[in-house]
Amino acid sequence: MAATGDEAAAMESISKAPVPPTDLNLTPTPTPTPTPEPEPEPEPRREVAANDATENQKAKRPSNNNDGGVETAEEATEPAEPDINELCRDMFDKMAVFLQGELTATCEDYKLLENMNKLTSLKYMEMKDISINISRNLQDLNQKYASLQPYLDQINQIEEQVTALEQAAYKLDTYSKKLEAKFKKLEKR
Amino acid sequence: MASSETQPRFGQSVKGLLSDKVTSCSGDVIALTRQVLKGSRSQELLSQAARNMVIQEDAILHSEDSLRKMSIITTHLQYQQEAIQKNVEHSKNLQDQLKHLMK
Repeated sequence: MAATGDEAAAMESISKAPVPPTDLNLTPTPTPTPTPEPEPEPEPRREVAANDATENQKAKRPSNNNDGGVETAEEATEPAEPDINELCRDMFDKMAVFLQGELTATCEDYKLLENMNKLTSLKYMEMKDISINISRNLQDLNQKYASLQPYLDQINQIEEQVTALEQAAYKLDTYSKKLEAKFKKLEKR
Repeated sequence: MASSETQPRFGQSVKGLLSDKVTSCSGDVIALTRQVLKGSRSQELLSQAARNMVIQEDAILHSEDSLRKMSIITTHLQYQQEAIQKNVEHSKNLQDQLKHLMK
């Protein structure tokens, strides 16, 4: 039971392992007072760890720490790729391009409708100008035809007079024919 | 025993988990974008508007053609009115002559 308790404690210490040092140190380091900081390394190595903070995730080497007679170990991870930043940047750039393309489709539809509306409004403006000209011309024409009305009345009077003249000419023609017939009759006597 | 998501699962490395997480996040972003665009129904409405505009274009062209013909007819009417104006000035002389004849 004690052995299993020790094994459980070992497993827990493994799971709760502190930040591993850069160098593999098998010799136990002198720690007279227990400190709350998880780093058991001496100070010179802390600077190295601070400088290599960005590389900790890349290069985690397994290290064994002796903490109260219980060995702990860190996970042996693979070193990160040297161009991981570039790959990440490339991924985000392409993601941005894709999303922009998705949104650009709707924007292009709006632009198409905007252009169509602009062209239609231009056409309607031209039609408005044409209709204004037509309206002005027709108003002038109405005024001119109104000024011509007395002349048109005169033309009507002339037509009536010509009709009367024609009737008079027909009567004169008939009378002259009768007169000719009487004259011939009298001449025969 | 702390079993958080950052801890490696059985048979998987942190690197693999990270890549899976990134892939799922990017997929979620893409799906979200598509759902937003689909939910707004902008594509349907805009395409319907463009279709209606194309249908209206024929009527607009016909209206413009009719207006241009009206302007031409108005011009012809103006020419005719000028010709009438010139000719009615002789009607007064004609009327005087007819009055003289009717006496």
